[in-house]
Amino acid sequence: MASTPVATPNGSGGAELPTWGRTVRRLASGALAFHLVGILVGPLSLPPALLADYLRRVYSPYIEAAYLDNAYKFFAPDPGPSHLLRWTAVMPDGSRRQGLLPDRQQHWPRLFYHRHFMLSEFVAGQPDPNWEPDTPWERLPNSELQRLLARSFARHLLYKLGAQSVTLELIEHALPNPEQVQQGLRLDDPSLYRSRKLGTYRRRGE
Amino acid sequence: MLRGYLRELWHWWVDGWNRFWFSPADPATLGLLRALAGGMLLYTHAVWSLGLNDFFGPYSWVSPQAAHELYRGDVPWSWFWHISSPTLLWLLHTAVLVVMAMFALGLFSRVTAVLSWLCAVAYAHRVPGALFGLDQINAMLAMYLMLGPCGAAWSVDRWIARWRSGRPLPPAVPSTAANLAVRLIQVHMCVIYFFAGISKLQGQSWWAGTALWGAVANLEYQTLDLTWMCHTPWLVALLTQATVWWELFFCVLVWPRLLRPLVLAFAVPLHLGIAVGMGMVTFGLVMLIGCASFVPPWLVRRLLGGGPAVPPAGVESGAPRAGRAMRRRRGARG
Repeated sequence: MASTPVATPNGSGGAELPTWGRTVRRLASGALAFHLVGILVGPLSLPPALLADYLRRVYSPYIEAAYLDNAYKFFAPDPGPSHLLRWTAVMPDGSRRQGLLPDRQQHWPRLFYHRHFMLSEFVAGQPDPNWEPDTPWERLPNSELQRLLARSFARHLLYKLGAQSVTLELIEHALPNPEQVQQGLRLDDPSLYRSRKLGTYRRRGE
Repeated sequence: MLRGYLRELWHWWVDGWNRFWFSPADPATLGLLRALAGGMLLYTHAVWSLGLNDFFGPYSWVSPQAAHELYRGDVPWSWFWHISSPTLLWLLHTAVLVVMAMFALGLFSRVTAVLSWLCAVAYAHRVPGALFGLDQINAMLAMYLMLGPCGAAWSVDRWIARWRSGRPLPPAVPSTAANLAVRLIQVHMCVIYFFAGISKLQGQSWWAGTALWGAVANLEYQTLDLTWMCHTPWLVALLTQATVWWELFFCVLVWPRLLRPLVLAFAVPLHLGIAVGMGMVTFGLVMLIGCASFVPPWLVRRLLGGGPAVPPAGVESGAPRAGRAMRRRRGARG
């Protein structure tokens, strides 16, 4: 960028001050242009877009290494039901232990609760790409990624609890509409929950 | 005529570009952002301590092997891939917290800024599935803060320099790097809000004006019972649509001097509402920290004290006057 090297300090209200030299500004401008296009790649990629696919070929190493590959779609396109994960562990003495992800009583402070909430949402957010639209949610087949995550979660629980086996269930908590709440339906009404089994996992070799 | 137009367009673009990115700026805003973002980084990573082995250990919720498979071969860097010893994990984590505390306080700022960014990215890459917007904004802020002299104001570094010199220091020297870092945060915030807004239009509920109910009626997010809004659908619609329109047009309306306070003022109830109503306090606050990049340095000094706090006459930043200076020079050149 070729221009005068003189500028006024931003917000200082004082006299003109020298800024970077022309060569430095040109180099910085090139880096800036590259970076500014790069931060658009993540948002443009979800849902997939042709232009983003082309840009991604160039930018993937940069935006992935710098954790800039983010879509910034907060609560978009629509706020939906939330998802929880219920685990049931069978201990070596035959007793059972149960837990929930997330659990307000156990996971505190709120950020820690949110970390666990994101785990259950992450599992729910990896549906089978070939699912039939008419299939009831409870009977949806678990996708390859859901099975991968469930195995990992189960391995964590087996190791942490010293359990013999762990069964994982994904729970969907639907949102009631305003009319239902007006008529007295509580947000935790049992009719709003449905679940499906992710799998039962045992210690290796047993 | 076309050549004249193109030449004028080129000069207009180059002058504007240089003025926007390369005008030296008082590092007061950058220093404030370092303290706030550094504090948030420290808190965010301190909370990992409650489940360090659960999230980062070899038998974590998302194990290293599972994470590698999730990334489908494009595994991003993180030193956590190479750590399996719980002792080493805790030692490293403690060191990271110390670095982030130093960064928040502004001690060895230039070094701790770079280290804090590397740490934030390393943590994020290791735990796919446990992340959300907070981590994205944390990493973004850390990345840009390390580009400028973020310890030149409101820092222990500056306090030490004053102590060593034995007398009050002159005001921090305006810096091009300080301006560049703040500008990058501002532009990135515009990108975030724009895509947050435009992606909401891909759904039906934001357009229809019912989306906010989806947040109110979600028990897993709820920290404040706002279900009384079922009786005021007009309020749900108003707040839903105001959110979308504000996010969409933030990138335009935040730049004019007179509109900026209004645009930023809307951010406060919006993000505090998310913080209080949905229990996402950290996310709400980190978005407000990003918005604080639009607070001009003179106002930061006026609010926090320390050094001159003189607003430029008639403008909130010196950029327009720099533009006039440039035009005068070009005019003088004929």
